[in-house]
Amino acid sequence: MPQIEIKNVSYTYPIKEGYNIKALKNVSFSVEKGEFIALAGMNGSGKSTLAKLLNGLFLPTSGEVLIDRISTADEDKTFEIRKRAGMVFQNPDNQMVATIIEDDIAFGPENIGVPREEIVKRVQDALEAVGMSEYRTRTASKLSGGQKQRIAIAGVLAMKPEILILDESTSMLDPNGRKEIMDIARKLNESGITVINITHNMEEAAMANRVIVLRKGRIAMDASPKEVFASGLLEACGLTLPPITRLAKNLAEKGFVFDGAIISEEELAEEICRQLK
Amino acid sequence: MFRDVAFGQYYPTNSPVHRLDARVKLLLTILFITAIFFINTYFGFMLTAAVLLAVIILARLPIISVLKSVRGILFIVVFTAVINLFFIKDGEVLAQIGTAVITKTGVHTTIKMVLRLVLLISGASLLSLTTTPVQLADGLESLMSPLKLIRVPVRDIAMIMSIALRFIPTLFEETNKIISAQKARGASFDTGNVLSRIKALLPVLIPLFVNSFRRADELAFAMDARCYNATDKRTKMKKAVIGVGDIIAVLFIGGFFTVILLERYYFPTVGINIDSTIFGDLL
Amino acid sequence: MQAVEIKNLDFVYSKKTPYEKQALKNVSLSVEEGTFLGLVGATGSGKSTLIQHLNGLIKVQNKKRSSVVVNGMSAKDRKTLKKLRFEVGMVFQYPEYQLFEDTVARDVAFGPKNMKLEKDEIDRRVRRALEVVGLDYDRFAERSPFDLSGGEKRRVAIAGVIAMQPKILVLDEPVAGLDPVGREEILALVKKLQREVSPTVITVSHNMDDMAMLADRIVALKDGEIVADGTPKEVFCNRSLILDAGLDLPTATSFSDILRERGVEIPDDIVTMDELAEELAKALSKKRAVADVDATEGNGNV
Repeated sequence: MPQIEIKNVSYTYPIKEGYNIKALKNVSFSVEKGEFIALAGMNGSGKSTLAKLLNGLFLPTSGEVLIDRISTADEDKTFEIRKRAGMVFQNPDNQMVATIIEDDIAFGPENIGVPREEIVKRVQDALEAVGMSEYRTRTASKLSGGQKQRIAIAGVLAMKPEILILDESTSMLDPNGRKEIMDIARKLNESGITVINITHNMEEAAMANRVIVLRKGRIAMDASPKEVFASGLLEACGLTLPPITRLAKNLAEKGFVFDGAIISEEELAEEICRQLK
Repeated sequence: MFRDVAFGQYYPTNSPVHRLDARVKLLLTILFITAIFFINTYFGFMLTAAVLLAVIILARLPIISVLKSVRGILFIVVFTAVINLFFIKDGEVLAQIGTAVITKTGVHTTIKMVLRLVLLISGASLLSLTTTPVQLADGLESLMSPLKLIRVPVRDIAMIMSIALRFIPTLFEETNKIISAQKARGASFDTGNVLSRIKALLPVLIPLFVNSFRRADELAFAMDARCYNATDKRTKMKKAVIGVGDIIAVLFIGGFFTVILLERYYFPTVGINIDSTIFGDLL
Repeated sequence: MQAVEIKNLDFVYSKKTPYEKQALKNVSLSVEEGTFLGLVGATGSGKSTLIQHLNGLIKVQNKKRSSVVVNGMSAKDRKTLKKLRFEVGMVFQYPEYQLFEDTVARDVAFGPKNMKLEKDEIDRRVRRALEVVGLDYDRFAERSPFDLSGGEKRRVAIAGVIAMQPKILVLDEPVAGLDPVGREEILALVKKLQREVSPTVITVSHNMDDMAMLADRIVALKDGEIVADGTPKEVFCNRSLILDAGLDLPTATSFSDILRERGVEIPDDIVTMDELAEELAKALSKKRAVADVDATEGNGNV
């Protein structure tokens, strides 16, 4: 049974009187527990709208979103769904509710009525999972962007989610911050949490086991990173190949021979060595 | 322009004052501020300053952190001082510059006003320096909880306060950035008359508002995503318990308040009355 | 001619408070006109503080010891401060968050208006600026900047700076937050601006691949001090220094190191992907030539 099911979902934004934008058009796919998915697309492709449909922040104009067979449209279960599908947003400064780090992480568990002792433990565990234990009683304002996003992830983990949605959570970070967040996402995924990373960074997409590319509100591709990068359709979706894949493509024009798209440095290095020996 | 804004900023040290219950601190701060309004003698002011200093030392705060909040209202202090100094016409005339007259009563009232304001702000800033915004909001929520009976949304009010405090530093930072950006395009904020200065602020205020709405939107999503308002049985990580420290604090500030009241109404001669101070004699 | 001359610049934030922080330490830097300079450094290394000295947004603290001179004007001189502001076009991070007027044209006109130019000249400059950043005047001039897409907003913001016709253009992370296509468009635009508007460009960036490709010269900051200054090759090939400054090596450099470790014979000073591809292609054809010779010799012996 799939953990997430998106069935014929469309979503329309009202902009002004009598003027709508169709952000999503008849989108369907499903996600198994434990997958690491990159949801890619250029700005305006509908990917952030889709993210917000996954935990009931938006409800589909038509179609259905199911998390563990619970419909996001079921008003009695809204918070059950949000508990299961935690979400980290783009701007690290706009999602923290409390000044002190532990207070912020406790916000979610407090909202769902977790008993006091249990909250304390969850806050400690969550901080440990993101490697920020020593910051527990400090204020957030002096942290780097990457550290703030780690706190935001901890705030989600404290609700014990089964799904982690990263809604362009790395797009405002420097390369070090980006690495920190992706490392944590990978670790969490290894521990069994489903990760859905909404991104336009193709190096991040290469880390996923499946890439779903959106274009003008429709799914343009849904395949492994290798297949997506080899498809030659990425540019048409407003995306670019990651540097290593692009290098391989360039080398292929210069006489090297590769089987399909190259997605990791390791893979490319091995191939080049083999062909030059 | 807004660098070093200290007021409203929590200063973390692990002191007995920091550990006090927020409700107790809130009530004691109110008591302290009330006391200040009963003071009429330099003895009273000295006692208040001593109490304040004791709390600062006990809280392991650098004095400068408290002084900074005073600096924030320096303009108001100076303004009040000038008004008092020149507009009080009663009492012995000490100096006359043109039509402006400075009287002995004016000088004393001015000194008292300034001391009062400085002590008041210092006292209030001690609360925010030693109490995290969440504790403060929780404390207020707890103190106001009887109002829930008459359907006042106490919890939402507390949440709004907490978020407001959380976003003060963010908004100051953003204001600075926008000011820099507009200055880089040749905007000037310190020339011209009042009207043109207000107009000059629009390039700062408009983006600030637009961005704040955007922030508020995102924050609302983030709070919803973390199940805000999921249940009426919201729990709290931090348990507020009244401890020995709180009792001592109540006795200490309560005692101070009593001394101030006694000194004012029953033993006014214990304190050196204003008119016979060194200042008074010198004047 | 030197566009920028900075000598012994120090800067301390929140002096004499518990938060005191030395943001710049004895920074000396001169930039020749026509240079594309990449300013790199980890977050908090002092890049922003340094660039804000160039147009006097941050005042020189130690007036005796330090000096900042831009196009012959001292940033310490209050009389030329305004003129200095207009000669140094500063595009901050996420510049679209500073738009404020109700139409695109008016927002772009803000700088020229502050310069007290004639109305005709202002109009001319607004048209030209929008055209340079690739926004059609007739389509965009009367629209509200708040209704545009992210990429368009950023172009409007850049046009607002370009309209002052600055001689030096300073950009702080110009592609932050943009999607891949937006990134490439803005990077191409920056190059174009150097050709057509401001001959000297200083760009702050965290992306070493971009910098290796675009910049003539790289200056690296660490904890407020310049730790490297030279061509991209000179700077990025000093690997330990770059890593020590908390920066990444360009992908081409780090990947060529992996290859060299495995015995691939390529030079050790590769900083761009194009170079790397060229070198690998060379290595491949060399290998094939050798193989061909082996093959012919082998045939002869049979």
